[in-house]
Parts: sequence; structure tokens; C-alpha cells
Amino acid sequence: MQLFIEQVINGIGNGLVYGSVALALVIIFRTTGILNFAQGEMALFSTYITWKLASESDGFGLPIVAAIGLSMAIAFVAGAMIERVLIRPVEQARSPLNVVIVTLGLFLGLNSVAQLIFGTDPQLMPSPFPEGNVELFSSGGDAVVVSKDTIGLIAVLVAECILLWLLLQRTNLGLKLRAVASNPDSARLHGIRAGTMLMLGWGMAAAIGALAGSLVASQRTGFDGSLMQIIIVYAFAAAALGGFDSLIGAVVAGLIVGIADALTVQYVDALEGIEVVVPLGLILVVLVILPNGLFGRRTVERV
Amino acid sequence: MSMPSDGTGASVEPALGTLPETAAVPAAAPGERPPIWPPLPRPVLIARIVIGVALSVVALYAPFYFTPENNRIISQALYLSIAAMGLNLLTGFTGQVSIGHGAFFGVGAFTTAILMVDHGWTFEATIPVAAVLSGLVGMLVGFPALRVRGLQLALVTLALAVLFPRLASKYVEGAGGVALLRPRRSEFASLIDGLDDDQWAYFVCLIIAVVLFVLAWNLVRGRMGRAMVAVRDQEIAATTVGVNLAGTKVGTFALSAAYAGVAGSLSVMIDRIADATSPILYLQRSIEFLVAMVIGGAATILGPAVGAFLLVWLRRNTEDLIEGKEILAPAIFGAALIAIVYVLPEGVVGGVRRLLARLGRRSSGSAARPGPASASDVPDDSINPGGSHDEGT
Amino acid sequence: MMRGPRPRWLAALLALALVGAACSSRDDDDDGAQTETGGEAAGSASIDTENCASDPSQEIEGDVIKLASSYPQSGLTAAFSEIARGWESYFEKVNAEGGVDIGDRTFTFEFVDMDDQYNAAETAQNVEEMVGQDGSGAFGTFSVVGTANNIAIRDFLGDLCVPDMFAATGSPAWGNPDYPWLIGSTLAPYTLEGQMFAQLLQDQKPDAKVAMLVQDDDFGRAYEEGFQQAIEGTDIEVVATERYPTGASEVSAQITSLAASGADAFFNGGTLLACPDALTKAAAANWKPITWVSGTCISKTLMGLAGAAANDVYSASNLKDPLNPDWDDDPAMQEYLDTVQQYRPDDFDPENAIVGYGYTQAAVFVEALKAAEAPTRLAVMESLHNLDGISDVGLLLPGVSITTAEDDPYMGESLMLAQYDFAGEGQRNHFVPQGDLVDFEGQTQDLTPEDLVTG
Repeated sequence: MQLFIEQVINGIGNGLVYGSVALALVIIFRTTGILNFAQGEMALFSTYITWKLASESDGFGLPIVAAIGLSMAIAFVAGAMIERVLIRPVEQARSPLNVVIVTLGLFLGLNSVAQLIFGTDPQLMPSPFPEGNVELFSSGGDAVVVSKDTIGLIAVLVAECILLWLLLQRTNLGLKLRAVASNPDSARLHGIRAGTMLMLGWGMAAAIGALAGSLVASQRTGFDGSLMQIIIVYAFAAAALGGFDSLIGAVVAGLIVGIADALTVQYVDALEGIEVVVPLGLILVVLVILPNGLFGRRTVERV
Repeated sequence: MSMPSDGTGASVEPALGTLPETAAVPAAAPGERPPIWPPLPRPVLIARIVIGVALSVVALYAPFYFTPENNRIISQALYLSIAAMGLNLLTGFTGQVSIGHGAFFGVGAFTTAILMVDHGWTFEATIPVAAVLSGLVGMLVGFPALRVRGLQLALVTLALAVLFPRLASKYVEGAGGVALLRPRRSEFASLIDGLDDDQWAYFVCLIIAVVLFVLAWNLVRGRMGRAMVAVRDQEIAATTVGVNLAGTKVGTFALSAAYAGVAGSLSVMIDRIADATSPILYLQRSIEFLVAMVIGGAATILGPAVGAFLLVWLRRNTEDLIEGKEILAPAIFGAALIAIVYVLPEGVVGGVRRLLARLGRRSSGSAARPGPASASDVPDDSINPGGSHDEGT
Repeated sequence: MMRGPRPRWLAALLALALVGAACSSRDDDDDGAQTETGGEAAGSASIDTENCASDPSQEIEGDVIKLASSYPQSGLTAAFSEIARGWESYFEKVNAEGGVDIGDRTFTFEFVDMDDQYNAAETAQNVEEMVGQDGSGAFGTFSVVGTANNIAIRDFLGDLCVPDMFAATGSPAWGNPDYPWLIGSTLAPYTLEGQMFAQLLQDQKPDAKVAMLVQDDDFGRAYEEGFQQAIEGTDIEVVATERYPTGASEVSAQITSLAASGADAFFNGGTLLACPDALTKAAAANWKPITWVSGTCISKTLMGLAGAAANDVYSASNLKDPLNPDWDDDPAMQEYLDTVQQYRPDDFDPENAIVGYGYTQAAVFVEALKAAEAPTRLAVMESLHNLDGISDVGLLLPGVSITTAEDDPYMGESLMLAQYDFAGEGQRNHFVPQGDLVDFEGQTQDLTPEDLVTG
């Protein structure tokens, strides 16, 4: 039983990681309608920037929280620029496949450029959370603990979800963002500056990605260019499972994916090394039963 | 019911005031296939035949001119174009985005490799088996695709491409204990005296590619093709006019997977390897097919082939573009992709067609004249992915 | 608007033109492809040359030994390209000093390389391109990185009787007698690490319960089976094994599972980022077993990531560690640092062990060349298979003697046990050698399960 709980906690730790990246994917989708394949690599690049800002030996030695904040700001601007310069001109030709190609090009390019600028060695990312564990309970033997990192991450994600939800659902700006995502032409007719909204959406997603990447890296024993490669697949799976238009869905789905993976490692020996089958298979099954994902709204198709 | 459109995808005025020579074109009766050789103006027809012959001569002579190394590269582009064509059928024409065709490619490749290495089959006999097996897997994927749509479907297929190498590496064991299979070179020896091994391999790829492309062309021109496009553009309306949604979707999945499987099988001949040691290889393949399709021109017949050759060329030439900074090769490649999509949003084929239409318009000077639906590339002007008919430049 | 009749063929022609622009003509490379059979087969016939597609006893023309290599230069494993920085600088130094003498002729080195992104199919293609279908493109391949990658080329090179030298992994498969043209490097075979750990446990905890973390592929299997064989007949027992997905960078679930097994010894066969992650997760779980780390993990960066969690872990190596202050005044170490600084002053850290490894391979190779009877592929290969105690070259530890023989093609068979000493953040933390050199000379075949070698 104790082992089960420990593995669930492991799963939660990873699941929060997947969920936080999935959040960025969902934000971009909800504000621009695009699936951004480059999300992971954009987050990676921002993570390297955070590291550079915070590193005492190789960088500027800023306090980690300031570094993350600054990195998020840089990411926001960069994301908006990417939308304006790379995505918008291609999108205007009205082919979603072309946009996919651009994001794929970014996906290939960003990793390579990051390696060039920041080097190929793995690096350590300091954590913004205090070190140590929090005891949950003890049952005879060792106590079952949760690291403060994990708790911190939970707190950050919950805060993110609340803030984003408030923004999208309760503010004028959010309304405009959603309007542009739903029907850009119609929104323009209402006087909404669609271009600006799109840039905002990308900027937000990039900033969220920067936060996610930095926190993820701080939770790990070092990170390098491969940080997002595995995570992005799980994050996509989580976003799909949650239904692409639900913020809380992305996080919950991420948790499910993470926990499923950890439990498979523990209990299913036959799938050793290929535990990824379980979360991915789970996605498929759920989507067949609930095509809009766990929390997605039913889309109405007009003919 | 929309009016028959002309060559460029612009919204069309009703076909009044047609010029004399086109008035002689017999309209296709509903349900009939458009005639293969519509009575085009004579000079155009002759020009086409001449060009077609010239192209065939080039394709047939090429392997005798190029080195074995270059023949291999061209053959790679050929099997890549087959896979891209398969994806085109599913994504370009039927609108089901798949980022998982690398998995079907892998199924085909490993089918061939396992049959050859473990069971001693001859290579040529494995190709149909690979096609059928990957088609079956595609069909299996097609069924859930009936429920899962759009973005979610794309991600499910992505999951496939990620899963495949993991599964293969678990259950396939090659020499040295690594999950890769390498049939011996002698197994691919030329079956025709007078043809070197690499030339033979090239011709096998070429012939299969031509056959499969003609098959696709035929399919797209016919009822199935119209059904596919209908599913892509307006699914619900399609069902109301009697399009068998399930059949079309599942069938197209199966067919496109079979194409990818054949490509995988051919890749074993050209590269002499089926490799499951790299967890991201088949995802990279999936991306390659998608890129080839889009930069060549989605929903066209020649697009995938053009895109495949372009892709192979790009890859070879971005490798050590900047001396000492090989690490940037993927970035240069990525930048090239973005540039191409920027400059040619309809792919090379689309862009060339647009250019020629402009030249044609300029030289003829007159207003747009609705031409007959060309036999070569069938109703693809109404087949812009996304279904938009705007000239949004 | 009129649709022109031209687009279809024009597009195709365009495509062909693009391809043609980059291609060369068939006839260019055909000349001189046929090798003449000249010269007698060199000395001891330990390598069967009957079925060679090209003649390996033909002397090298000109005065250049051209080496080809394929290794990751971009993508996620680009860090492996630092191995090449090591041997390139050594070869350049030798060139600057006049070259190497084989028999009565002098040769300089030339090297070509291609990027394979650690992809075995890419490696196969690269090597076939560089070496050529008739073997005339290069003398042989050198330091190709990756087990699968070398497996992918060994048939092609073996048929041509072209040497594949210093394959840069510790796979026991390099001892396969069916492939005499492939030889490994001074990297000790993975199974010997299992032996070392077993011996260590015999000393410290003869009834140890061992937990193993290995990668889910041939690399992991070599550790697993090698260690199982090593503990046969002892009271040591493996109580838990976890295989993690290839390339994973975090292993928290696996470590939780292993920690719960009650094991008091831990074989950490993780590589790249999985290795330090296993150490930190084990520390976080309050699990303090006697720990062994894979030889692939002994690097400044990886151990540095684990920090305090790496304290007291064991491993083994046969090379001097640039991080160890004991070697600061060592002339060989100085020479290494100077050479790399002079010929490859790129943006990498020579204190990274893999650079020193690459450097040492070149040094051993040059010695083998000097000992070759004639400047032919056959003679050089035979020299490599009959190395007679090469020592004190490159960064080899004192006492390490590189020896190979007809039934023992493994070069790296002596190892020094070492224990990591973490003195603090920012300190020069390094592995401290323990005891004497352990010599497994000639024993690898016996100590390795057959299927790992010939499988």
C-alpha cells in the first residue's frame, strides 16, 4: 500500500510536468486554434534562458525567481513575434497544414540553435522552492513523503489555471481572445484587432511554456536538449485526453497520464521499457468513448 | 451544388460566354468519370505528349548516368514519394491529419526484414505482404478514427509513431542483440542481367512508384476521390448525399497505410536496414512524409513526388552548409522548410501552376476563360486543404 | 483564367534538375576501382582473407592513411562528437611531428567524418558513402560511436575486408570471431564492470542483495547478464531489476520500486541523464546501498549533476581522470591538455573524460601502426589483434597494458576501481582510485555469456 502511494506520488510529480506543458498547448489552441508542435522546444529555449540568467558559474547569477520572471517576459515577446513574423503570413494563405509545417520547422530549429548557443552539456537548474520533503503520514516503516518541489508545482499550476480561467472567462480581453479564436473574420467585424489578439495568445502560451520548462528542469537532476522530447509527447497526450479546450482538463489529464505510467512501471513487468503503451493506450480508449476528451465541450458542427 | 471551377481556384462566374473551342468539350454526365483524354486543343495535346515522353526518357536513362550512390539517393526519394502520396490520400484529399504514417512505414519495413532475415523469403515476394499487413494495421487505426476527429486524431497517430519503435525494439531481435535487421546485400541482387544492383533497385522503386501514383490518380478522379474530398470539406453534408463515411474513412486509412508500408518495404532494399533502436526515428519519418506532401503540394498528384525529391535534396545540402557548425544542420533545414511554405503556400506544384496560369493569362490577354477540367490533375482546384476558395494573397 | 498544359511535367523536370544539380556522373568514380592483387599476404594467417571483396594485402598508395568516421554531430547526442576532438588532435600532432612509420614508409593521417545523429541507418549510409562500394574511399573506419551503429556496418566492411577500428562502445559483441575486421577500443567490455562490482561486494558484503537498474536494450542486457554470471556460486543475489526505456532522462518510478526491494547494493547501469537522476532519487528515498555506476557515467558533467548524491559511489576506469589533481603534474596529462588546446581549441571542456578517451584511442592506434609489419590493411588488423602490452600512451593509467591475442580481441581488460569523493559544490570532485589495478587479461571470453558475443 505504501509503495502504491509512493508510486502515485511519483506519477503526480511527472503528471504535473506534463500538465503544465499541456496548459501551454491548450492556451494556444484556445486563442489561435493551432496545434503548436514547437511548444516543447520553445519552452526548452526559454528554460535555457532561465538557466543562463540564474546560473552563478556560467551566467548572470540572478535569483531564480527573478530569472524565471524575466525569462517569461522574454518568452512572451518572442512568442508574439513568432506569431507575427512566422505564423501569420503563412496562416493567411488559409492552410492549416502550412502552419503545421512552420511549427515543425521551429521544432527542428530551436533545439539545434539552443545547442549552439548554450552548449550540449547537461546543466543544473536551481529550484525556486525550498528543499526538503513534507511528511504525509507514516505507516510503521519510513514515512511517505512528498517533496516540497511537488507541492510547489501543484500550487503554481492551480494558480495558473485560476488566473487563466479568470482571464479567459471573466475579462473583456479574454472574450476578445476567444472570439478571435472562434471566428477571426467575425471578430474583426466587431472591431476586435484580431492580429493583436493572436500575438497575445502566442505570447501567453510561450510565457506559460517558459514557466513550465523552468519548473520542470528545476525538478530534475539536470536537463539538456532532450528535456522536452519525451515530455511533449505526454503533454500532447494529456491535452488530447483532457479535451483541447479545457484548462483544468489538461492538468487532470496530465496527472492521469503520469500516474498511469508510474503504476505501470511498478506493477506490469511485461511492459518493462515500454510503459508508455499504457498512457497512450488509455488516451485512445478514452477518446473513442468520449471523442471530445474528458473535459471537452461537445462541438457543434454547422452544416 | 457548385459550378465547375476553372484552373485556379478563384471563385467562378457562371460558364457563360465560353470561347468556341471549349464549347466542344462534352460535359461529363453525373456519375461518369471525366474522359481520360478530353479533346484538348491540338498543340496542347502534342506538347503534353512530347513532354511526357521526354520525362520518361530522363527517368529511364538516369540510373545509367548517375553513380550507384546517387541512384540510391534518387531511390530514397522515390520510396519517400510513395509514402507521401499515401499520406496525401488521407490528409490531403480526405482531410484526416496523420502524423503517424511512420509507424505504417515501419510495419512494412519490419515485415520485409523479418521475412527475409528470419524466414528466408525473397525480397520481391515480401512487398505485397508488407502492403497487406500495413493496410490491415491502417484499417485498425481507421476504426477509432471514425470517432476521434481532427486534432485528437492527429495526436493519436502521433502516439502510434512514438509507440512503434518501442514495441519493435522489445520484440525484434537482430544480430548482436540490437533491434535492427540487415538483410545481406546479395539478397537484393539484380534479377536482370545487364542491370547493376543499384540500377535494378532504382527500377523496382520507379515502377512501383509509377503504378501506385497512377492508381492514386485513378482513384482520385473517380467516385472514391469525390467521396474523399466530400468527407474532407463537409462531412455531414457528404453523408446526406450518400457518401459512405465509415467506408471512405476506414478505406482511405487502410490504403494510405498500405502505401506507407510499401514504401517501408522498399526502404529495406535501398537502405538495407530496418532499425528500431532509435525511439524517435519513426516520428521523424512521419514528419518527413507530411513535409514532403505539403511542400510539394497537398491534394495534388505530383505534389508528393516533387516534395519528396525536394526534401531529400534539402537534407543532403543542409548537412554541412556551415563548416564547423554541423550542429546547426537541423536549424538550417527547419528554416528552409519555413521559407518554402512562406513562399509557396500551395507547395511547389501549386506555385508552379499559379505561375503558369498567370503567364497564360498575360499572354492570352483576355478575361478568364473556363477551361475543361484537366485530365492530369483532377478536380484539385476545389481541393484546397481547408476548402477555402479565396485567393488570400 | 486558363490553366496552362504545362505544370505537371515542369514540376517534375524541376525536381529532377534539382537532384541532378547536386549529383555527379556515373563515370567519374568508376576509374581505378579495380584493385590489383599485388604483394604477398602478410605473416600469420590469423585472419581469413579468402572471401575478401577487395585485396587487403595491397599496400597503401601514397603517404596518407585516410580514416573515416561517423558519429553524432547534431541532435540530442551531439555531445559525443567530443570524442572525435580527442583523436583528431592527437593525429594532427603526429602529423606535425612528421607522421608515423610503418615498415620503411612514413604516413600522415587524413580524416573524414559524417554526422549520423546516432542513427544506425544513417551510419550505414555514411560509411558506405565514405568508404565506397569497393573500399577505395578510406583505409578504414575509426571510432564509430554506438553499438547498433557498428553492428549496422560490420557486414559491409567485413565483406570488403576493410577495418572498423576502435568501435566506441564496450559491447562484448566486438569479440565476435566472425567479424575479425571489427575491433573495439580500450573501453572495457560492459561485462567486466559486473565482475568488478561482484568482486567489490565479495570484499565488503558477501551476502549482498543487489538491485539493478539497466536500460532496456543490448547495453542493459550486457550489464544484467554479465553481472548474473559474475555472481554465480557466490552468496550475492539479485533481488530486483528494473529496465528503463532507452533514452529516458528520469527514473523516479523505477528507483522507488528498487528501493522498496530491500536491496543493500545497487548496480546503476543508467547512462546519460538517467544515471545522475537514479542517484538523486535514491538519495531522496533515503536508500543508501553500496552503489556502482556505469563506466559511461564517469564524466565531469554527469557526476556533477548528481552532486552530493554521488558521494561514495564506485566505478572503474583504465584512464587518467583530468579532474584528479594527482595527475596535474603528470607529463602525459600535460601533453594531452596542450595537444587538445593547440589543435582543437573549440568550445568544449578537455576535462570531459570522453575527450581523453578519444585521445587515447589515437595513441594506441599509432602504436599498433608502428608495430605493423607492412602498410596494408591485413597487417594493421593483425597488429591490432596481436598487441603486445602497449602502455603509458595517451592517458592510460600506469600499469595498464593493452594486449590482444588470437582468441582475445578485447583491449581494455585491466581496470582500476575508484570511488567518488564529493568534497563540496564547486570543488574538483572526482573519482579516487582504490587499491591496485585489476587485471582480467584474456578472461573476457570466459566471463561473458556466449550469446552476448555471438548473438
